[in-house]
Amino acid sequence: MNWYAIQLECLLAILAVVVLLTDAFRPVRDARRIGLILSALVGLTLLYSFTMQPLGEAVFQGMYRLDTLALFFKRLFLLATAFVLLMSAEFVERIEAGRVEFYVLLLLCATGMLVLASANDFILMFVALELVTICFFVLTSYLRRQVPSLEAGTKYLILGALSSGLTVYGIAYLLGITGTANFEKLRAVLTEAPVGEATGLWFGMVLVLAGLGFKIASVPFQVWAPDVYQGAPTPVTAMLAVGSKAAGFVLLMRVLMTGLLPLEPVWGPVVLGLAGASLVYGNLGALPQRDIKRLLGYSSIGHAGYVLMGVAAVNALGVAAVLFYHGQYAFTTLCAFLAIVAVTRVTGRDDIASFAGLHRRAPILGLALFLAMMSLAGVPPLSGFFGKFQLFAAVIDRAQMDARYYWLAGIGAAAVVVSLYFYLNVGRAIYMQSSDRTDAIPVSWPVRVGLWICMGAMIGLGVYQRPLVDAALQAARVFGLE
Amino acid sequence: MNPVWLILFAPLGAAAVITLVTQRWKMLSAFVSCAAILLGFVLSVGIFLQQGQWQSPEPLRWLVLEGGWVIEFGATVDRLSVLMLLVVTGVGSAIHIYSIGYMRGDPGFSRYFACLSLFTFSMLGIVLSNNFIQIFIFWELVGVSSYLLIGYWFERPSAAEAGKKAFLVNRIGDFGMMLGILLLWTEAGTFSFAELPERVAAIPAGTLGLISALIFCGAVGKSAQVPLHVWLPDAMEGPTPVSALIHAATMVAAGVYMLCRVAFLILPSETALTLIAWVGGVTALMAATIAITQNDIKRILAYSTLSQLGYMIMSVGLTGITPAMFHLTTHAFFKALLFLGAGSVIHALHHEQDIWKMGGLWRKMPVTFVTFLIGTLALAGVWPLSGFYSKDEILLLALKENMALFVVGVVTAFLTAYYMGRGCFVAFFGRPRDRHAYEHAHESPLVMTAPLVFLAILSVIGGWGSYVPHFLQPEGHGAHHEAWKGFLLLLVPAAGFGVAAWIYGRAEPSDEPVKAALGRLWNVLENKYYFDEVYLWIVRNVQGAVASGCELFDRWALQRLGVGGLAGVTGLAGKTLRLLQTGNVQAYAFVFGVGLTVIIFYVVVR
Repeated sequence: MNWYAIQLECLLAILAVVVLLTDAFRPVRDARRIGLILSALVGLTLLYSFTMQPLGEAVFQGMYRLDTLALFFKRLFLLATAFVLLMSAEFVERIEAGRVEFYVLLLLCATGMLVLASANDFILMFVALELVTICFFVLTSYLRRQVPSLEAGTKYLILGALSSGLTVYGIAYLLGITGTANFEKLRAVLTEAPVGEATGLWFGMVLVLAGLGFKIASVPFQVWAPDVYQGAPTPVTAMLAVGSKAAGFVLLMRVLMTGLLPLEPVWGPVVLGLAGASLVYGNLGALPQRDIKRLLGYSSIGHAGYVLMGVAAVNALGVAAVLFYHGQYAFTTLCAFLAIVAVTRVTGRDDIASFAGLHRRAPILGLALFLAMMSLAGVPPLSGFFGKFQLFAAVIDRAQMDARYYWLAGIGAAAVVVSLYFYLNVGRAIYMQSSDRTDAIPVSWPVRVGLWICMGAMIGLGVYQRPLVDAALQAARVFGLE
Repeated sequence: MNPVWLILFAPLGAAAVITLVTQRWKMLSAFVSCAAILLGFVLSVGIFLQQGQWQSPEPLRWLVLEGGWVIEFGATVDRLSVLMLLVVTGVGSAIHIYSIGYMRGDPGFSRYFACLSLFTFSMLGIVLSNNFIQIFIFWELVGVSSYLLIGYWFERPSAAEAGKKAFLVNRIGDFGMMLGILLLWTEAGTFSFAELPERVAAIPAGTLGLISALIFCGAVGKSAQVPLHVWLPDAMEGPTPVSALIHAATMVAAGVYMLCRVAFLILPSETALTLIAWVGGVTALMAATIAITQNDIKRILAYSTLSQLGYMIMSVGLTGITPAMFHLTTHAFFKALLFLGAGSVIHALHHEQDIWKMGGLWRKMPVTFVTFLIGTLALAGVWPLSGFYSKDEILLLALKENMALFVVGVVTAFLTAYYMGRGCFVAFFGRPRDRHAYEHAHESPLVMTAPLVFLAILSVIGGWGSYVPHFLQPEGHGAHHEAWKGFLLLLVPAAGFGVAAWIYGRAEPSDEPVKAALGRLWNVLENKYYFDEVYLWIVRNVQGAVASGCELFDRWALQRLGVGGLAGVTGLAGKTLRLLQTGNVQAYAFVFGVGLTVIIFYVVVR
């Protein structure tokens, strides 16, 4: 056993089991405190992960890779988990029963994501993917007395099962034709053998793409996102938006740029089309929305489109841009959801109108949510601007060889313009509209600390991007693209 | 770590700490702000003493983009920047401390110090910048902090208006500067001050002249030269220590400093040099003539500042980089001193700024009076005070290079002595004209008089031995002092003071004799050559007409048809997409399946 490679996963799993058993024998009374402690512990794990070094070779019979890319995403997931646990601690009083199990499920879900970041084999990928997805089935429907939550859970369950079925069907095709489930071996087989008219291969590939498209909420596998984002408990929505999406993207890149790289001429145009369609759908769909979580659901589809631009470019610049974008997007989105949790805890409403005059009721929440919206829209000097800048630069770079990519860049630019409208709408509610409620919204110190970290990162990475850019460039070298 | 980073970032840290943490505790905020700049001063002196072992710190590679596009964030440590560091932190420290006394009891005390620290950070950023992008960013930051401080008493409409005016007028100059920077980049391919000098030679002379002139626009705005000088007198709406620090000693000198920093661009271009010299000369003379008619003590000093900045710019235009920096340094000392002295008077008289309501104050405020007198003599260029040495260098340079500008300089020097003499006689001598104010006048507390004395000492000794020029040009600096010419020039301020004493040196001084002598000209001067009126007319009629035309086009063609149409279509599309989202899970699965089928069809059939 190579314990070094899986130590982070083990840590999280043990933590989950310990918490579960403790609660079983000595029921926890103060669930909020446990949440804060767990958040701090995961934060420490994140710090610890910076001492780890990548391993050169794949381990566990080539199934598992601990390269710079895996470490990059593991850190991202740990960051997201720490923040989501913090949010949950603020949220937990709204859960009627099974408060501690909520944390446990989040930890297990995170464990699955950490494994996914390292998956180098279709079988491991599928197992870890199911671990994550099944945790989410339960988590989305956790508010069991509330119809929207149950509805969201059901939809996620049915569509998730559909996508899992298609994925495993696709894997079977690929495995059957090439005789291997390992990404690197698959690439070797595909490079050697002529793949001219391998219809079955393409069929399998599209099915796997559909499964991953479901995870990242890309058109046309996005239909679940607005409903589930709106109905799920807010911390779960945050986990979906940051963790689940990033997990989908790391897998997508591993599958496409390692295993199926020889088929690039086939899947390249497909990813290009999905990127454009997601950009259009997500940003147009967000326009008429009145509910902030639903708005963020559409926005999440739009952001899948932006990130797919970087994947579609299939160059080192593009992969680095995808990684940078995820890094800054995590801070931005977590900032938004943390502020939303703190506000809705008092107001109990999710509609944008209920955020009117927020800057008077809780200046820090107003500022944090406003900055997050501006960063999502890509307004300089916030980090979202530089993230988008890099993605566009990668696409333009590719467009020098293939003029179709200019169209993608054009659609992306139009999407940015459209998105300003609905993001600014939130800002307008916060700063320009007044509300009849003027009582202050209390903000606890852990939330304050979390918000300052996120805001600091948004501004810091917007002004001085090099640390994250360097890390992203280094991790992007894993694929050996130009 | 290199101490210059600490000098630069300590004030920023102070501004952040005050805004976020200590805002409630006023004295603590003042302490944080003063500590930051004093630390900067001590470190600057330390750097100065280590002459010969200077090293610019390794620049931070701030933005690295494809195609060799590197923008650095660096700090230049050389003779020019070290001198400027000393001036900014030294004079700045005195003014920070003085402010504790002057601003006592103001409700926005902490905000004031936060803004002051922000300004210090921005100003030091200009001083240390090692490339054009960085200097431009700090250039704008200085503009912002100046805006915040001019409009510090924002509840007064005149202050808010003055802040806006300063910002807008500066933006006009900055726009030219930005064009110049971009043009330079397309020609030379770099922003770095270190790399530019060797690439400048390859730029055609005409283009280089244009670039220099455009970049000079930035200096015209920031250093308030004709025709963009109109903001500076209005900027006196800010608190007096702000006028001393920003609108006399440091920020307005940034234009001069910037020109000296990029001298390699300007010196090869004859046309640009002529333009710069004449803009400076005209500003010097014009401002001095306006100053003789002003009644507000701060406005007299403001026009005097304009006039002295004109000298510096003129010196740059006559290729005298060292004399310009020399005069910048001494001017920072005595002009800060004069403003702080004026502030002391204003403070004592409960915000009375009209010199005609003062009179006889020398008995009541001895320290203020003596230091103000020292500042006046230094400004007029009386031997052996600092102004004598620096102004003489410029005048002698003009004598050598350009006779017409020499005459302009001499006339300005005469007027300088005259209007400062007028101000002193009216404010400090004669019979008190406002009995009530006079009774209540009192000397200011030590926290205000100590900086006055400090600056007075600097104003006296700042020019001795021509230390500053020797420091800037150790290998022997050009304009050798021909002592007899210099002393001959002493007759000019003597004549100025003499005339002022003859007219105003009586118990009941009055402007009437001068008014009678000048006739209509007095009105023109009193109205500042009608610059503001002309600008207002242009803005109302020309800009207004263009704006209403644009507005019509915008409203009908762009908003109704363009934006309205686009937004309508976009919104409609959004609403249509909503229909897809029925909430029905079977429908969702259907969309999922159809989408999948389309992709498979595309991939397989293709």
